[in-house]
Amino acid sequence: MPSTRTILWAATLLSALAFLGMTVDSLRKLGARTHEERLSAEVIEGKRLWQHYDCNDCHTILGIGGYYAPDVTKSYAIRGDAWLRQFLKEPAKMYPAGRQMPNFHLADEQVGSLVAYLEWVSEVDTNGWPPAPEGVARAESGGAKVFLAQHCNTCHSIQGSGGTLAPDLSHEGSRQTKEWILAQLNDPRSHKPDSIMPSFKQLPEAAKQELADYLAGLK
Amino acid sequence: MRYKSQIVAREYFLAALLLFFLQVVFGILSSVKYVWDTDPLLAILPFNVARAIHINLLVFWLLLALMGATYYMVAEEIETEIYSVKLARLQLGILLASGVAAIVGYLFQWSFGLPFLEQPTVIKLAIVVGVLVFLANVGLTMFTNHQTLTRTTATLLGGMVMLAVMFLFGIPFMSNLSTQYYFWWWVIHLWVEGAWELIAASLVGWALIKLTGVPRQRIEGWVFAEVCLVLLTGIIGTGHHYYWIGTPHYWLWWGAIFSAAEPIPIMMMLVDTVRHMLKARRLATVNTLGLAWLGASAFVHFMGAGVWGFGQTLPQINRWTHGTQITASHGHFAFWGAYGMLAIALMYIILPEIGGHPTEKGTKLGFASFVTLNFSMIFLVMSLLIAGIVQVYLQRIMGMDFLEVQNQLRLWFEVRLVSGCIFLIGTVLLLWDLFRLARTLPAGERAPEPQPETVPAA
Repeated sequence: MPSTRTILWAATLLSALAFLGMTVDSLRKLGARTHEERLSAEVIEGKRLWQHYDCNDCHTILGIGGYYAPDVTKSYAIRGDAWLRQFLKEPAKMYPAGRQMPNFHLADEQVGSLVAYLEWVSEVDTNGWPPAPEGVARAESGGAKVFLAQHCNTCHSIQGSGGTLAPDLSHEGSRQTKEWILAQLNDPRSHKPDSIMPSFKQLPEAAKQELADYLAGLK
Repeated sequence: MRYKSQIVAREYFLAALLLFFLQVVFGILSSVKYVWDTDPLLAILPFNVARAIHINLLVFWLLLALMGATYYMVAEEIETEIYSVKLARLQLGILLASGVAAIVGYLFQWSFGLPFLEQPTVIKLAIVVGVLVFLANVGLTMFTNHQTLTRTTATLLGGMVMLAVMFLFGIPFMSNLSTQYYFWWWVIHLWVEGAWELIAASLVGWALIKLTGVPRQRIEGWVFAEVCLVLLTGIIGTGHHYYWIGTPHYWLWWGAIFSAAEPIPIMMMLVDTVRHMLKARRLATVNTLGLAWLGASAFVHFMGAGVWGFGQTLPQINRWTHGTQITASHGHFAFWGAYGMLAIALMYIILPEIGGHPTEKGTKLGFASFVTLNFSMIFLVMSLLIAGIVQVYLQRIMGMDFLEVQNQLRLWFEVRLVSGCIFLIGTVLLLWDLFRLARTLPAGERAPEPQPETVPAA
């Protein structure tokens, strides 16, 4: 009968070996899960810049880092290319009030690398993290749910809740028709050529209809 | 103090205390930025720099304190002088210079840009040199006396070697962020829930043997079991950091099961420490304040690392709480309990011996700092916890924007700031008291050294 000491030693050693085994397997699978083939020189340069400016001590990425500024894991998917480029050039202009990000006076090329990096990160398979909002949103109408799920409220506000960067939509229905809203969702630059709003053309048609109905109903 | 060379521990402690003070100051500067949107220091000390300095100072002061205590303990356990006091001082110089260079560098945007491991590569290499000097010095002290290592010293050596090896995984730049974070956790997690736990368990074991008079064999048996369980649960428990970083789905199972068991050894440490401490009541001379810090450390270690950690370790909960103020609450509570309080306990146990205050039991000032620090930390941790719960609800569940939610949390950030300021007062009291103890008393003022005691049979 082995002593307790031997059992403890053996179990500890075994767990370390199992961990190493899983490490080998994880590293093998990371290539596909992170689309490693898309790690271009530009993306890697973006990661270097991200580290050089120590962005990670304010922002979380993959949920890790400082809790002072928003998580950027999905910021490319949420904000889109144009918005991010403009924001990185002039952060204060994009967020005129509230917590400020310093302006790093990035060159266009650097901005491009950072955006490419954020695009790559947004495609990493994170096992469904961060989760889509639910709870109260579940009880909302379909359109309101799409509004939250697409993070429209980071820029637009409704009834005092939401961002200040883009127009308040509390009474959008009394200003615009449903058709106008649909056109705006599909191609924001069709109404305003220098608009930084990302296009939501890729949304399923049903979701776009629900969102447009919801906004057109806000009188 | 039995060996002259043990005095080097005092230099490590004094350096550690100064860095601790600075850590608190930078913590307050960071928390001010959560309360007031307009940041007058945005151009010279933005949040990321203040936070980087805050968390780097944390690691530096704890390492220096634990290293100082190690020198003191090893000499006593091996019953010999430290191999080289000069090397110990050289090591302290290297580590302090690296720390100062890193912190000044952050102010000028010289950063590697990974949280906790922001030190640029050249500084990391200097830190490696400092740690190697330490390992060589401690190793030579242990092995030149031809004495069998006690189990506590062997555990301590194991922890220190593990600490050094794991740090290497934090040095290279990796193109793939997921791979980078995979190995980043080998430093962060396998330090605090592996190497540092080994170091802490052995130092607590040594302190208990010293202070309580409980036979060595009994305490060392516990230390061994605890250390094995820490590693058994903690190594695969790293998996609770691999839920959402791009790693395969099976980590949700492995991480959950093993990390859910992580509080067990911490619970054992608490029960063990309290049980042995109660025996010390029968002794004539008791270092009450040293024991209070030791016992409170075991308790807060269990609460902060065990309970707070368990509260969000299961993936079903963690997917909502990951990356919110709840993590900040857990981080503060666990680090303070497991390592901050332990480092202070060790100073209260060792400094009186160095300074010639062998009958030290704790002064009113010392107890006042104990109460101030711990109560303010509880308020700080609770305010972050409440902020985190509200944040999860509004941001993750209701889908409100991050910055809008931060505005809603302002009250709790204010409570945190006030708690931090009270904590600073406690820190000043602590420094005052420990500096008093560190001052060597002239021979005439010293009380006679007490004779070793053992617990009388029940």
